[in-house]
Amino acid sequence: MRKNLVSKVIAAALTAALAMSLTACGSSSSASTTESSSGDKKTIGVIQYTTVPSLDNCYEGFVKGLADEGFVEGENLTIDFQNANAEVSTADTEAQTMAQKKYDLIGAIATPAAMSAYGACKADKIPVVFTAVSDPVSAQLVKSLDKSETICAGSSDQLPLEAQLQMIRAFLPEAKKIGVLYTTSEPNSITNLETLKELAPKYDFESIEAIGVTNSSEIAAGAESLVASGVDCINNFTDNNVVNNLPTVLQAASKANIPVFGSEEGQVYDGCLASISIDYVALGEETGKIAGKILKEKLKPEDSEIYTANEGTPFVNTDVAKTLGIEIPSEYQDGTMVTTGSNK
Amino acid sequence: MEIILGLLQVVLREGMIYGIMAMGVYITYKVLNFADLSVDGSFPLGACSAAALITAGVNPWLVCVICFLAGCIAGSVTGALHVKLHISDLMSGILVQTALYSVNMVVTSKKAVLSIFDMPTIFSTGLGGMLYNSALDQWAWVIMALIITIVVKILLDLYLKTRSGLLLRAVGSNERFVVSQGKDPGNMKIIGLMIGNGLVALSGCVLAQQKESADASSGTGMVVMALAAVIIGEAVFGKAKKLRGTTMAIIGMIIYRCCLTAAMQLGLDTIYLKALMSGLFIIALVGSRLKNERSARNVIKAAENK
Repeated sequence: MRKNLVSKVIAAALTAALAMSLTACGSSSSASTTESSSGDKKTIGVIQYTTVPSLDNCYEGFVKGLADEGFVEGENLTIDFQNANAEVSTADTEAQTMAQKKYDLIGAIATPAAMSAYGACKADKIPVVFTAVSDPVSAQLVKSLDKSETICAGSSDQLPLEAQLQMIRAFLPEAKKIGVLYTTSEPNSITNLETLKELAPKYDFESIEAIGVTNSSEIAAGAESLVASGVDCINNFTDNNVVNNLPTVLQAASKANIPVFGSEEGQVYDGCLASISIDYVALGEETGKIAGKILKEKLKPEDSEIYTANEGTPFVNTDVAKTLGIEIPSEYQDGTMVTTGSNK
Repeated sequence: MEIILGLLQVVLREGMIYGIMAMGVYITYKVLNFADLSVDGSFPLGACSAAALITAGVNPWLVCVICFLAGCIAGSVTGALHVKLHISDLMSGILVQTALYSVNMVVTSKKAVLSIFDMPTIFSTGLGGMLYNSALDQWAWVIMALIITIVVKILLDLYLKTRSGLLLRAVGSNERFVVSQGKDPGNMKIIGLMIGNGLVALSGCVLAQQKESADASSGTGMVVMALAAVIIGEAVFGKAKKLRGTTMAIIGMIIYRCCLTAAMQLGLDTIYLKALMSGLFIIALVGSRLKNERSARNVIKAAENK
């Protein structure tokens, strides 16, 4: 009898959860309709794929950019911010519920989030504004960088790899082989690697040694074998997995006394020799401005041009240069000079 | 109201598409009593193969069949590792799941994401396209998902009634019976795993066609989701003996997706989703165990009273 009661209670709890969920869908969504329908107030959704510093910076800039265009969160703008915690199925569900709520616009940070958002919003023609997508054309988010011709607009974080190679050449005049450690499941890294391979001969590099890993546990082995293959330096992309495990890469490199070049200023503060960095806050801000213009109906996503951060600024870590005995080339002495850990 | 209906569309559509996967896991976990972890690899295998084949211009319905077969092959490897090489069930699943990552990267020609936006899929051409262009709008997707899931369910139910299906069910509960019939229980296990993983891959294939893109890392968390659906379905409907296991798995998945969507709508930070899902899982597990114990006790009591 008692057992019977227990299972009845459990059944009741599950039913209640179900009922509650349905009413919850109702109540919260009715709230958002009233908001979006009243006057000039806009409601947008933002999906950030995962938590890493560069993407966090993008979001910070995105909100700033919207404010530049006169949309201030809490005043005339409601932002439904969702993080997908690096799970595609979560990003899908978030995008689809946002589309069903007929938000005025959806912001998407990083490639998988942008793809989920585009798939969900295509039918309802809700504009999607993406950022931190390296190659929006090959992801089929837009037809070309000059003119989107889809419901998507936004910005690409294609790394300034040409400037980076030029910098590596200046720092290491004798270098022949550049090593790259990347994660095979990160689309941005794969695009960047292809570009780097194409550009390398132009700066007289003989080869790019690339090692692909699948998760964080393979980083140490990957870095060791990269160093063992006799590379003259290691170059990082904005690879989430590799950047999160940067200390492991730095350790392997310092044993062989070779420098690691970063892709963002944060990595230079953490012990990379130098990098040509994109300012992700500024990138997010430009994206926010695009979103603001679309909300004001001043810009149609179909006609928009994809903003690319072509120019980066050099950051150099003087501590690392001293340890490795590398002289900072004169043309980079105007860059931002930092020391290890000085940003904390 | 419109928005509630809209959210309901999302829940039903996702619930039914992932429901195909839940049926697959029902076969391995419930029927065979085999904890199959290769699911996390065979789901993206289906999704990536679908995107690659559709890009190559293959008929979308044929793509579904090929993806099912691809999943079957993956399942047969898990089965062979377990049955022929005597590797434990968990380990065989993990090994296949890991190896499938490489296979998936080959399938997508080293791309982590594959887009098939605006290409012909089962949702945009033929029956799906006809439904979509009628006044049904987005309900067309729900109806398509329903049709596919029901057809798969009926086929699976019919199979389970055949001689081979009965033997399959016997493997999980009474292996000796299978031996007494002159059949090798090991081979039946392999067949079960093939069907299970085939269904999981089919689910990934249908989802990729609906959302028009595939991601090589989309398998994360799929085993847990499918197991939770099977167990929730059983905990809620276990009493209704007339309901088939396959039906319970689909409804379980719809309930699971409903709870998940609701939690997001209530403004729960997505970092807590995993904990919430584990909680639901535990409630359902304990619930169904208590129910089983009770029914076992009732049987004993009935026997004593005789």
